Amino acid sequence: MSSAPAAVPAGRSKRAPRPPAMAIARRAVNRLTLPVLLLLPSLIIIAGLVGYPLVRTIYLSFTDTGLGDLIYGTSEWVGLENFKEVFTDEHLRTSLVNTVVFGTACVIGTMIFGFAVALLLNQRLKGNLLFGIAVLLPWAVPALAASAIWKWLFDARYGFVNWAMVNLGFDGFQDYAWFADRESAYVAIFITVVWQSFPFVALSLLAGLQTIPKETLQAAAVDGANAFQRFRLVTLPLLRPIVAVLVIFSTIWDFKIFDQIYVMAAGVPDRSADTAAVAAYREGFALSHYGLGSAVAVVLFLILLAFALIYVRLVGKEGEFS
Amino acid sequence: MAVALVLATLVAACGGGDEDNGAAQSGSSGGGEAAKLEGSISVWIMDPGSPKIQGVVNQYGKDFEAAHPGTKIDIQFVPWAQAHDKFVTAIAGGKVPDVAEMGTTWTPEFADQGALLEQPGIGEGEYVSSLVDAATLDEKVYGKPWYAGARALIYRKDFLEKAGVEPPKTWEDMTAAAQAVKEKVKGVYGIGTTGLSEHMYLPTIWQAGGEIATQEGDTWKSALNSPEAAQAIDFYASFYKDELAPKAAIGWEEPDAQTAFINGDIAMLIAGGWGYNSIIATKPELEEKIGTVLQPTGPSGKGTAFAGGSHLVQFTESGNHELGASFVDFMLEPDQLNKFTSEIGFLPGTTAGIEASGYLEDEARKPFAEQLLNASAVYPPSPKWGGLEGANIFDGQIQKVMKGEETAQDAVAELATKMDEEFAG
Repeated sequence: MSSAPAAVPAGRSKRAPRPPAMAIARRAVNRLTLPVLLLLPSLIIIAGLVGYPLVRTIYLSFTDTGLGDLIYGTSEWVGLENFKEVFTDEHLRTSLVNTVVFGTACVIGTMIFGFAVALLLNQRLKGNLLFGIAVLLPWAVPALAASAIWKWLFDARYGFVNWAMVNLGFDGFQDYAWFADRESAYVAIFITVVWQSFPFVALSLLAGLQTIPKETLQAAAVDGANAFQRFRLVTLPLLRPIVAVLVIFSTIWDFKIFDQIYVMAAGVPDRSADTAAVAAYREGFALSHYGLGSAVAVVLFLILLAFALIYVRLVGKEGEFS
Repeated sequence: MAVALVLATLVAACGGGDEDNGAAQSGSSGGGEAAKLEGSISVWIMDPGSPKIQGVVNQYGKDFEAAHPGTKIDIQFVPWAQAHDKFVTAIAGGKVPDVAEMGTTWTPEFADQGALLEQPGIGEGEYVSSLVDAATLDEKVYGKPWYAGARALIYRKDFLEKAGVEPPKTWEDMTAAAQAVKEKVKGVYGIGTTGLSEHMYLPTIWQAGGEIATQEGDTWKSALNSPEAAQAIDFYASFYKDELAPKAAIGWEEPDAQTAFINGDIAMLIAGGWGYNSIIATKPELEEKIGTVLQPTGPSGKGTAFAGGSHLVQFTESGNHELGASFVDFMLEPDQLNKFTSEIGFLPGTTAGIEASGYLEDEARKPFAEQLLNASAVYPPSPKWGGLEGANIFDGQIQKVMKGEETAQDAVAELATKMDEEFAG
């Protein structure tokens, strides 16, 4: 009886002697080898497709590379010259401001509209499945096609929008040129962008809404909370992680918005409705100023990075982001 | 971030330039029947916007393949609006076509980058000379003129009749005619002056007696900061300001104006023979309602238009210069050439082609030919011009004047500065 307790520690120490440092290191390496090997293919792809272009763009943004320099590989290091120009050139500066202001407006619009649709779809209505599918459709339309279609809907003389407005009694919309002004052009583009991006938001939020236990909401109702209070005090906090992720995604999408602007804002006087993505493209590919175009892209990248970091921090503080 | 990626991937793709120029150059200048043609080439042609004309071009490929067994001609159509960007991207990425149609104002630009092959054996008087000039950089020719054209003025006979005016001969006539149409023909605007077509507004500077740029030694200097240029832009913008053109026209490109003309929304339009053909193809009943006259003359007494057109070029990085050169020459044979130009509404770029075309005998199309031959000019053949056009540096200022946000004098001064920056850079 007394030998048993003694035998156990003795046996253990015999079978598992305290391993020397080398062995610990080897085991650690062994333990890491498989995961690293498994990750390697995707790491290589990411490094090739994201890492290298990113590094190359950042490098280009410090040079005066033009088309000829691209072909013959000669370009000059100009330091921060390009970045100075990004902030002094009126058009480029405007494009950055447009990006932040219009992008933010689109994020807010998409979230509000997406939420509204999600709440509607969450009601037990007849034909919900049909509505769910219908909501998905705008998302399935390629952005370029959608932009062309909406541009037609907003056409001055033959567009549906003006026709409808005139028939509703707003005669000022007869031949109203939506794209002759930055502000009215943005109204049209805003509608297009929100129309295209709300389905994802709506369906993600719907999925979130359906995970909220009905008992919680019933309990709140019993406690005397009205519909708005139930939404604000129960639903919204429970959906917070999803909302945060959606806001980050939307911000990234809407800040680098390209297709809609490229198609719909091309005729806006003095290109005053260009966003940074379009400006970078035009600077690089139309004017062959690759250095300057890259600099715009880098600034846009930094803005997005800053926004993403702020959001992640905000969410992280709540301790609900995992 | 997407833009960063796109920019960088393209840049990454073009690491090393090929060094096979030596072998290829000897091939293209040899040009004998001795060498048997083989292999395949890719050819980019600007999309003429009609299946019928595409058919003519595709037939070139088929006929050539039939005449030279063992060859393959792969023809792709590229829309004009994207073409400049697409060439730049292709050159940067090292994925150029073997042969391409190129807008005449772009040829010096890409030649200057070393992307184009010199075209030897351009004989005196063989081609329309202004188009050879447009393809010349440092006394070397980089493109063979394919076709050419100049914009004249087309108008709806019925609208002008209803308004009680004759087709305009001068700037003043044009303003008066536009006003009369606005007053007397309901729902129709006088003219479609757009904000996004430099070929409509830049030539007014010549008409006013000004210049666009002048050559100073190796480089070019903008001549836009002048009273003549300001007067011209003022004139062009006045139609929009006085509501003689549709409100949306400020954001229109030429095809939009053409659509408006087809729909009967505007009475007059600055358009080329190609536009005329395409309008009639879209709505045949318009043929008897459309008249054509030379562009109205400005204060200088000239009604100069822009002589535009296309070159056929070969790329240095092409792998088969011999086949490319042979296909280009095939397309330029007078019979072949006229199949295309008669459809598209341009004049052939070769003198033999023009003689064979019979263009001057056709009443409705004659003004287009006269405009090109007697009253047209080309933009400065500077390597920088294509970039200026590609970036549309002009449109923004013109639009500001059209909206009344800026005076024409300030606009041309600003443009002159921008142009000089580009010429110098």
